[in-house]
Amino acid sequence: MSQAFTKAMARNIFYGGSVFFLLLLAALTFDTHMAWPERDNHAAITESVSQGKALWEENNCIGCHSLLGEGAYYAPELGNAFKRLGGKDGIKGFIMSRPKDGIPGRRSMPQFNFSPEELDALADFLEYVSGINTSNWPPNIQG
Amino acid sequence: MSNAKLAIFLPFVESARVVSMNEKETIVVDTASAGVAAPDALVRYPPGDLAIWIFILAELLVFGVFFSSYAFNRMNHVELFNQYQATLDRDAALINTLALLTSSYFVIRGVVAAREGNNRLCAHWIWGAVAMGGVFLVVKSAEYSHHIGAGISLSTNEFYMFYLSLTFFHFMHVILGMVILAAVAVKAGQGGYSREDHVGVETGASYWHMVDLVWLILFPLVYVMR
Amino acid sequence: MQYQSQSVAKPYFIAAIGLFVGQILFGLIMGLQYVIGDFMFPEIPFNVARMVHTNLLIVWLLFGFMGATYYLVPEEAERELFSPLLAHLMFWIFLIAGALTVLGYLLVPYATLAELTHNELLPTMGREFLEQPTITKLGIVVVALAFLFNIGMTILKGRKTAISLVLLIGLLGLAVFFLFAFYNPDNLAKDKYYWWFVVHLWVEGVWELILGSILAFVLIKTTGVDREVIEKWLYVIIAMALITGLVGTGHHFYWIGTPEYWQWWGSIFSALEPIPFFMMTVFAFNMVNRRRRNHPNKAAVLWAMGTAVMAFLGAGVWGFMHTLAPVNYYTHGTQITAAHGHMAFYGAYVMIVLTMISYAMPMLRGREAAPSVRSQVLEMWSFWLMTVSMVFITLFLTGAGILQVYLQRFSDNPLPFMVAQDKVELFYWMREVAGVVFLIGLIVYIASFFVGSRDPEPVAGAVEPAAAA
Repeated sequence: MSQAFTKAMARNIFYGGSVFFLLLLAALTFDTHMAWPERDNHAAITESVSQGKALWEENNCIGCHSLLGEGAYYAPELGNAFKRLGGKDGIKGFIMSRPKDGIPGRRSMPQFNFSPEELDALADFLEYVSGINTSNWPPNIQG
Repeated sequence: MSNAKLAIFLPFVESARVVSMNEKETIVVDTASAGVAAPDALVRYPPGDLAIWIFILAELLVFGVFFSSYAFNRMNHVELFNQYQATLDRDAALINTLALLTSSYFVIRGVVAAREGNNRLCAHWIWGAVAMGGVFLVVKSAEYSHHIGAGISLSTNEFYMFYLSLTFFHFMHVILGMVILAAVAVKAGQGGYSREDHVGVETGASYWHMVDLVWLILFPLVYVMR
Repeated sequence: MQYQSQSVAKPYFIAAIGLFVGQILFGLIMGLQYVIGDFMFPEIPFNVARMVHTNLLIVWLLFGFMGATYYLVPEEAERELFSPLLAHLMFWIFLIAGALTVLGYLLVPYATLAELTHNELLPTMGREFLEQPTITKLGIVVVALAFLFNIGMTILKGRKTAISLVLLIGLLGLAVFFLFAFYNPDNLAKDKYYWWFVVHLWVEGVWELILGSILAFVLIKTTGVDREVIEKWLYVIIAMALITGLVGTGHHFYWIGTPEYWQWWGSIFSALEPIPFFMMTVFAFNMVNRRRRNHPNKAAVLWAMGTAVMAFLGAGVWGFMHTLAPVNYYTHGTQITAAHGHMAFYGAYVMIVLTMISYAMPMLRGREAAPSVRSQVLEMWSFWLMTVSMVFITLFLTGAGILQVYLQRFSDNPLPFMVAQDKVELFYWMREVAGVVFLIGLIVYIASFFVGSRDPEPVAGAVEPAAAA
């Protein structure tokens, strides 16, 4: 009889291990669903916030910025922009003031020509994001 | 590779004759023709497929990391850990310990039966071990439903996070172990093992003993030690 | 080439390389925009260059995976592809849809593209790597299903090997997890959580099965080592990949509104994710060491070994460096992330596709086994140029990242983002230079298909005696 490490054994470990950990991931995902309501600030998701998220996506803000650390690293983190820029007015003012042709030699943000309602929605969205419990991330106000 | 060198690698293999060695992965040891009585427990070491030992070591590594994390975390939250440890049902844990120890004993009897070529007896003992594993699952599930009923989850506090994570990870390994043992028992029931070839029984047994060993560390660490 | 229908792989490989060039050109544009901020603004703002760069990467890798599959499955299954016509049709559909999407990114503002493609009916645009209009995404699903059908039918009716089955599982997983791209809730925490079910479970999950099976195939062909050995190793490697990578998804769940136990689960399991890559390196070198033949395509063997090493360094080592939660707290969303991302993608996935192209293209072009010596020399030069320049890109971004983390996150007086970016500018210039060298490497690579293409095949090396027992 051979005391061998066979391909069949390896294959069984692959199938067994994969199913095992898939189930574990499912269990942890289920628990995460249960835990979200206390952390995800969902109560703050108004019609305006929803519209703000849509604008965020349709203008691909994530293509330059990061949100909760995810996205691009060309422009500042915006998860805590609500706090850093001084609330909704600060956010709206910044977006409104971007020059159409950019700032010579500097990384430039487009002028999106948002309506007052759209600006408000975006600001609401960023306010909502700043209220998500991110376990104390980022380490400081600079993001 | 000479037989002498091989003897160093397999100290318990007496008079083994190397039949062939391809790719260094597969060392085929023909003990039967070397005239050594196969049922001798010392002949094969470690028992069972080599692959399972790699994974047993990997498993022990992960559990080891979990246990260390628990211990490290406890150091920083002694009061909290002591306080909530008192809410655990130690009687249930004791029953579970006895259940697993008994199941391991049954598994050993099953391996002995297989070594004697007695498939039916082997199957009975292994099914018995599976049943004891089932007792563990039932008792542990009762504990969990009590916790869930009290509104406890992974997010309640650090202690419960570790307690639930550690025991649930182990719980899933008990299930996996039972599946492996059931597969062994089914094959034995069909007369699939023999005196010469019962590696599957040894493999399943080794895995189950690991699952038992992990509980024997988990129980005092999480339930008892203050 | 053993089967006529393997030839459908050729257009896929050519498209892959063409899109690769596009990817690098836009990468260089971005690199320049990092230091000359208004370069090509506002015609091609940074985010547009970025989405072109990343989407081209993903699409060319998919073309590469499909080409690799079309090449190796008939050979593994020992029968012709089920429907070469379907494969050709899907090629053109995918290529045209991809080209239109990229043109859409470049020619109209992104918000206009969203409007034109009626994103509002089922909003899936505007997330990283998933910028494609919803209709493009639906097209991808159709192409994927047709592809899987074609390959599935071929395998079903032929010889089933571990390699083809593992590849199929990987590709099925790729298709299934892509479906999460259609889930886009208002709840940002949920949005981000399930986004990783596409991205992580792709590149740190099922794509590793694709990588492993292609590598195993090339190793069997070039080393002559026994299939049983190679396939057994393949199973062990992918077992470790999923055992560590599934719960390892948790290393993306530290700071996005998920419960805090993920910091423990994610750290522990993701710390083990380098293991399969380490095993792949040992595997590749071991198989080549105990080879029973000297395959005349030395370039392909170089790519194979290089893939294992660079994947281990980029995905394994660089990944490990920022995977533990206490470290990640400071490095999350910085140039450290970019450094790891570049070397990991290049080492694992770019290189395995180039390995397969290196191995298969000679046969697809009518050769017996290998390109001429002149071609191979040029190809090996391109390997070193691209690989070494990628290492430098990664080192420079790591330098930028360490400095950024210190200045912006760690120091007692943290600097604003833009100020910190100014301070690490030198690293970005150096990165751009390395990027130019990478492009040169890519040009040399393309040249290797033309230079010496009429030269004779190299003589196959003497068969070495089998490894002594």
